[in-house]
Amino acid sequence: MRPLTEAETKTLFEKIAIYCGRGISHLITDANEGERHVFRVQKDRVYYMRESLANLATSVARDNLLSLGTCLGKFTKTGKFRLHITALPVIAPHARYKVWVKPNGEMPFLYGGNVLKAHVGRWSEDCPEHQGVIVLSMIDTPLGFGVSARSTADARRLDPTGIVTFRQADIGEYLREEDTLFTT
Amino acid sequence: MAPTKPTKASNKTRTKSKPGSNSKKPKPSSSAPTGISKRKQKSLSLAKPGGAQKTKSSLHNNPNKRKKRTYKESELDIPTLNSIIPAGIAKPKGEKKGKKFVDDVESMSAIMAMVNAEKEGHIEGKLVRARQLEEVREAKRREAEKREGERRDKFEGVKEGLRKKRGRKGKMVDGEVGKENDGGEKEKSGKKKERKRVSFG
Repeated sequence: MRPLTEAETKTLFEKIAIYCGRGISHLITDANEGERHVFRVQKDRVYYMRESLANLATSVARDNLLSLGTCLGKFTKTGKFRLHITALPVIAPHARYKVWVKPNGEMPFLYGGNVLKAHVGRWSEDCPEHQGVIVLSMIDTPLGFGVSARSTADARRLDPTGIVTFRQADIGEYLREEDTLFTT
Repeated sequence: MAPTKPTKASNKTRTKSKPGSNSKKPKPSSSAPTGISKRKQKSLSLAKPGGAQKTKSSLHNNPNKRKKRTYKESELDIPTLNSIIPAGIAKPKGEKKGKKFVDDVESMSAIMAMVNAEKEGHIEGKLVRARQLEEVREAKRREAEKREGERRDKFEGVKEGLRKKRGRKGKMVDGEVGKENDGGEKEKSGKKKERKRVSFG
């Protein structure tokens, strides 16, 4: 387990900034919780944890350490970063653009479907095309994240069966990908 | 050691040594029974001040002893501007080897600011482009509506014209019929008139 290098930090922030915008600053400083949180790499996965926990982890050998804190995602062999569904609780509170799904659209989304216009209850204004959005239920429970298929203005003209948000990850993966989600 | 002829060596020593000096050291003579071995005698003769004797043959036999000196770049006193340091090789001294970790808030904030500025630029660009496209679309729509209205007006005008023309024609036809059939045919024409009115009503 080690801190991130400059290049790795940049790649990670670029990915998180798609969903959070300026909200990343809250992840770094985290003034509301008091204790500082840090990013750590174990093998190719990035974890977000309290600094005290990261310091304790130094007493465990790298080979013996499986995971620690909240897994945000992993670095691919080509150096890109892939965000996992486990990062949702970390990024959702700081999200910039959001889509609220009506109860009739929750299950189709949790089974891996895209968000249709007919299922949308509300959406953030001024959202451009192909921008990262967080999908929430009408009672503000984060369900997953995706990418906007149309800008808000375009989506208004769309027919009810048109896709508004392309799914990237949803909390249904905890069941669907149970076998592979936490394997390293 | 190379073998030396005793006679030559003695001659040389004689030439080298000052004639007036009365040195206390015994002269090397092979005949004198001093009890010192030949080798010792020779070393003693060499130890004399100013009496370093090296024959040509001895110099030739030991080439390794006098190596040509190789100078380092620093010893040559070359001006620093003239020395060539390839860009890829030059490394600042005292710098950390390997990965450079980022763990402090300041450097992370700096990276975040850089990334955010880039992303904001992208988003702004997207929004501006979307707004421009929206304006163009709106203008096109307005123009199409206008054209449609014009076309409809024209069509209405033509329709109105036709209606008027037909109305005039109908009247004319009625008048002619009235002239031709004055008596019992009037009822028929009245029925026809009614039918027309219904159809165009």
